[in-house]
Amino acid sequence: MSSVRGRGRNLEIAVDRALGAAAEELRVQFAGRPDFYRGSRAVANLGLLEPPALELAAFRDALAEFGIVLDGVCGGESVAQIAAEVDLAYLGLAQVAEVAALPRKRQQREVRLSDEARSLVADFAGARADMVRRREVGPAGAATVVAAAGVAIPLQPRPVPAGVATLYHRGTLRGGQALHNLGNLVVVGDVNPGAELVASGDIVVFGALRGVAHAGAQGDRSARVIALELAPTQLRIATVIATSGADRTKRGPEHASIVDDRIVVVPFAEAELKRESHA
Amino acid sequence: MSARRIVLTSGKGGVGKTTTTANLGAALAKSGKRVVLVDADIGLRNLDLVLGVEKRIVFDLVEVVEGRCQLRQALIKDKRLENLSILPAAQTRDKTAISELQMAEVVEQLGALCDYVLIDCPAGIEHGFRNAIAGAGEAIVVTTPEVSAIRDADRVIGKLHERGLPVRLIINRIRPEMVRSGDMLGVDDVTEILAAELLGIVPDDEEVIDTTNKGEPIALVAESRLAAIYAKIARRLEGELVPFTALNAPGFFERLFRKAG
Amino acid sequence: MINQVIQDEVPGAGDVPRVRGRAIVVTSGKGGVGKTTTTANIGTALAALGASVVLVDADVGLRNLDIVLGLEARVRHHVLDVLEGIATLDDALVTDKRVPKLRLLAAAQTREKDDVDTAAFRDLIGTLRDRFDYVLIDCPAGIEKGFVNAIAGADEAIVVCTPEVAAVRDADRVVGLLGDDRKVELIVNRLRPALVRKGKMLSVDDVNDILHLPLLGVIAEAPDVIISTNRGQPVALDPASEVGESYRAIARRITGQDTGAPEIPREKTLFGKLFGGRS
Repeated sequence: MSSVRGRGRNLEIAVDRALGAAAEELRVQFAGRPDFYRGSRAVANLGLLEPPALELAAFRDALAEFGIVLDGVCGGESVAQIAAEVDLAYLGLAQVAEVAALPRKRQQREVRLSDEARSLVADFAGARADMVRRREVGPAGAATVVAAAGVAIPLQPRPVPAGVATLYHRGTLRGGQALHNLGNLVVVGDVNPGAELVASGDIVVFGALRGVAHAGAQGDRSARVIALELAPTQLRIATVIATSGADRTKRGPEHASIVDDRIVVVPFAEAELKRESHA
Repeated sequence: MSARRIVLTSGKGGVGKTTTTANLGAALAKSGKRVVLVDADIGLRNLDLVLGVEKRIVFDLVEVVEGRCQLRQALIKDKRLENLSILPAAQTRDKTAISELQMAEVVEQLGALCDYVLIDCPAGIEHGFRNAIAGAGEAIVVTTPEVSAIRDADRVIGKLHERGLPVRLIINRIRPEMVRSGDMLGVDDVTEILAAELLGIVPDDEEVIDTTNKGEPIALVAESRLAAIYAKIARRLEGELVPFTALNAPGFFERLFRKAG
Repeated sequence: MINQVIQDEVPGAGDVPRVRGRAIVVTSGKGGVGKTTTTANIGTALAALGASVVLVDADVGLRNLDIVLGLEARVRHHVLDVLEGIATLDDALVTDKRVPKLRLLAAAQTREKDDVDTAAFRDLIGTLRDRFDYVLIDCPAGIEKGFVNAIAGADEAIVVCTPEVAAVRDADRVVGLLGDDRKVELIVNRLRPALVRKGKMLSVDDVNDILHLPLLGVIAEAPDVIISTNRGQPVALDPASEVGESYRAIARRITGQDTGAPEIPREKTLFGKLFGGRS
């Protein structure tokens, strides 16, 4: 549970979960008295989080909805660069001071992304945090399969005492069809362009994945997408979006996951499959 | 100053509405106008494919209408032309997902952002057609010089007139040699039957299939004959009096235009 | 000009109890790929083989099957008249003098697809199956009410698709909506082998890599088809037409006379162009 504390005339917000989820939590918290903090300045303590710059910007925007101006963040060293990118002051580790007096450091971020990837990131600015929020409160809480004439038939959510349910679907998914699941998704068959897979967990396609797949849709950055043929129109894991290039050579089974804020695809034989727990 | 809102329709499917929307939009954007293209074919979207933006779709028209995202988040900017954006349709829904009123509202919001809103209409005259024309102030009817296409165009023009929409005509995929041999109707025949003002004549060109498959509208291929033609259509749309291109030898030109001018 | 009259064959009618006719909907999703032309030509070819055939135009408001068959002047009543009891089926069925075993049930031109009650249309198809060996339904473009009506009552479908990305996407959507209970087969139309070779057009394999359907036939692009459509003379009646032959081969496959794999049209060599049949 993120906490909001007053420090003098300012606020310190200690964040203990992914920023998207934290923002949502705070919204719920503030909803009862939306104007209570209006006009306040704030500092966010990110603890060990290392969010992408856009997520941080979105968090700042979320606070701005309640009239709270986020001036700076504290957290690990890598947060300094991220903060500079979005014009926030970096306050070191767990340090809070008079925010107004702090200089803003601007640092050049090392260019690690290809041009195409960077423009994709710019394309989706603001959309990504929204996407996570949408999935959390989204229309399909239960698994649905889109059947004849585009009418969605909700399946009963399985009661599972612990762990996550996995939805298994045998058959090719055609354009316009969608499978959404709270849990993992396994499809034996092709997923054609125009078809959509959304799972809060992992996605496995024993066939050609050519449509859109969104794994970790509620923010789980450790989610994976695995396919016999990975050629999606668009791939999303948590809030990271990528698309396949124009290269159409067939490469055999592949595994996609988030590494360093980007979606990285490796041949399945080289995939690191250790199961991680997520915040 | 609000934008011109133009729906491109046809009645018959496959005559080139989507290709025309994409290319006319590109031509207008190239000439400096700010253009937004709207794909109203929910469930059978293709405008994104024709423009090559299908991999960049995150939000769509239905999500805008349902309030699940903001309009600006759903708009995809074209990478080649900074004045061109597209609002894609949803693929996993169908045309009952939005109402005429909702469509009109979206188009009005878009109108505040640009000079031209071009709406790509689905085939037919059902719910999807009614949605597409809901936000429009003018219409362009696309037809090919074939009997079935003309018959459907005629039906559609009737419906557009019922709504009080001014209608102009683009004759697409004309083949001069077939007009000459009498196997295809000529421009005069078509305009006479449909009694609509002619906006453009676009010849058949096998390159168009390839450009569609690749997502590179031919209006952007500088040396192509079709790019020049779409540029002229854009100018005519702006109100300029541009003479129609002779598609072939002078003999053909005479045959196309029995009347003078 | 074709002025043949196909001889009427009545092999032992009345001796054997009637097997219920087959109802096949010809659909595509995308408009302009050749559904109507295909319906007209397959119907003509089936009737020429001796089967009794009725063609039903389900494109209310935008009817074209009558034009393609050259029968528009002979239409007195249409489907809606029959459904509303204004005319009997026999009043509405139009005979084709060139092909005595072929009948046409035209669509209404000045009405809307919403006017047709799906259940009533399904019953009408059932009635037609009791009278004819083949009921071919020409489906409108799109996936709206017109499509839903057209597929009601048909337990088989022919999907017509041109070798273009947009057509394949739309066809895939339609296949998804047709569901798993119908027999669905594919006709690839308007193939241009020279463009396929140059990499400027999809091949039949490219198309079926996505659609995964049994292939019923492949038809090459040919100018004589537009000519025949404009003149109301189905190419299936022209013994010299290669496209006509493709349609006749499809008809033989439908009746089961032909069980081999469909031939894929090849690029014409210069020799073929000069001395082969009209292409």
